[in-house]
Amino acid sequence: MKTLFLLMKRNVKLFFKDKGLFLTSLITPMILLVLYVSFLGNVYRDSFTMNLPEGITVSEDLIDGYVAGQLISSILAVSCVTVAFCSNFLMVQDKANGTIKDLRITPVSPSVLSLGYYLSSFLSTLMICFLATALCIGYVGIVGWYMSIADVLCLYLDVLLLTLFGTALSSVINFFLSSQGQISAVGTLVSSCYGFICGAYMPISSFNEGLQRVISFLPGTYGTVLVRFHSTRGVFSAMANENVPAEFIKASMDAIDANFYFFNDQVSTQMMYLVLSLTIVVLIGAYILQNTVKNKVK
Amino acid sequence: MKNIIKIEGLTKCFGELRAVDDLSFRVKEGELFAFLGVNGAGKSTTINIICGQLSKDVGKVYIDELDIEKDLNLIKTRIGVVYQSSVLDSSLSVYDNLESRAALYGIIGDDFKKRLEELSDLLELRPLLKRTVGKLSGGQRRRIDVARSLLNDPKILILDEPTTGLDPQTRKTLWNVVTRLRKTENMTVFLTTHYMEEAADADYVVILDSGKISAEGTPLELKNKYASDFITLYGVDEEKVSSLGVNYEQLKDAFRISIPNTSAATELIVKYPEVFVDYEITKGKMDDVFLNITGKELEGGDKK
Repeated sequence: MKTLFLLMKRNVKLFFKDKGLFLTSLITPMILLVLYVSFLGNVYRDSFTMNLPEGITVSEDLIDGYVAGQLISSILAVSCVTVAFCSNFLMVQDKANGTIKDLRITPVSPSVLSLGYYLSSFLSTLMICFLATALCIGYVGIVGWYMSIADVLCLYLDVLLLTLFGTALSSVINFFLSSQGQISAVGTLVSSCYGFICGAYMPISSFNEGLQRVISFLPGTYGTVLVRFHSTRGVFSAMANENVPAEFIKASMDAIDANFYFFNDQVSTQMMYLVLSLTIVVLIGAYILQNTVKNKVK
Repeated sequence: MKNIIKIEGLTKCFGELRAVDDLSFRVKEGELFAFLGVNGAGKSTTINIICGQLSKDVGKVYIDELDIEKDLNLIKTRIGVVYQSSVLDSSLSVYDNLESRAALYGIIGDDFKKRLEELSDLLELRPLLKRTVGKLSGGQRRRIDVARSLLNDPKILILDEPTTGLDPQTRKTLWNVVTRLRKTENMTVFLTTHYMEEAADADYVVILDSGKISAEGTPLELKNKYASDFITLYGVDEEKVSSLGVNYEQLKDAFRISIPNTSAATELIVKYPEVFVDYEITKGKMDDVFLNITGKELEGGDKK
């Protein structure tokens, strides 16, 4: 256990000592926040107000809160995975510069080594993502605060699970990489594609039915939905208190994936947590297996 | 003296390439063993198999009487490796590097501190412990590499081209440490090198070519078998030298006569004492041995 701790300490220190890596990881969510507020805020606002039924008015504060909730959920859902790919650079770097040889000539088991990479990458990603969550919550506080304490705690839980998921996914994929060029390519690919396929950049409900079905099988989607649900639940509750029709609220929640359907059946939040948790366990298991099998067939 | 490394019929193929082909040799405890060969001869493959980094296809490998197939983790505790290039984390301090590597052997807490003290005494590490590895000079970094390889108090120290690219002073420092370890700890040193003068100091030499042993023996045996001796003759004119009826080469202020071995030199000297007034007999060099056996020169070594 102490060996694992010292291995994690080494990995985390290396991550934070690499200024380029650390700053890139840290700046990513902040840049996303600025870009989203600048370019997508009005799109979300217009989309909501244009669909308001005639005769129904919603206060500006509520609309601001709604837009802010949608923005931060998109940022956090993407950041947890992209930052994980960024911080999980070390396992590839160790292969590229030959350090892995020095670690593998020791009697430490491959599963401890792989777990060391996973947990340290998870810790680094979590620190950045929790910081990003605090910034996002601060932004919501300034723009329009409707979240309850439970929502905030659930949001942190969602970020925690998404970070575990993102780190496990990046570990499984990075296992096959052995050069810095490869990891840059994969990082770029993930940054540009993941936001689309998890429903962060565009709501899944806006895709065609076939694509929606495919995406509903991707576990990362459930993480996005959980984050979106918890960051907008307070706003929708406040709308209900202002006598906005329930049908409109439900339609709005469906439209932004705060509700999610698997083959027309609404998926409960408990089920989403279960799917995400099981996926994390399976991915971590697969990653440890990859390392163990590789060690046996060299 | 027991065999600390015993390799029998070792074979490793990568596709069609037989990187190591039915290799057998033994290394005795406490000896300096030189493992020579050009790049691609199979040295690194053999070392990787010994260290458990690579599986073998056929053959047996015993380290300190332990079978690599059954006791790999135990074997790993008996081996230390100094690689050609440093594989430590250049952005971490010396202390952090050594602490994290020691932890991989289960050496933690007070055990680590005790071992660090011992190594600091041996390698004069104290002033370097807080410094970042990437900011150390080449020689200082090599000392840290050696310290890292000794963390687990190994019985066998594998030096994989440890002095390539080092300045003479640093090379000397490294060899002083290795010599001290052999004397005080009876440590076995398994050396691969491109510097033939280092191999000349070995107790036993194995020369590898295309995955197979092409020659082995002590440096003296190899020199006697594969390299000619030389007599350098001073203060005589060419006429006298040519009267000896042997091949010779004119140097700036001397003549160099090539002879098959030292006994042939003695015969010649006894036969022509008036010619051999001021002379020296030189054994063939390991460079010549290597060249004569493999037909290739080792790149990177000092060409003299």
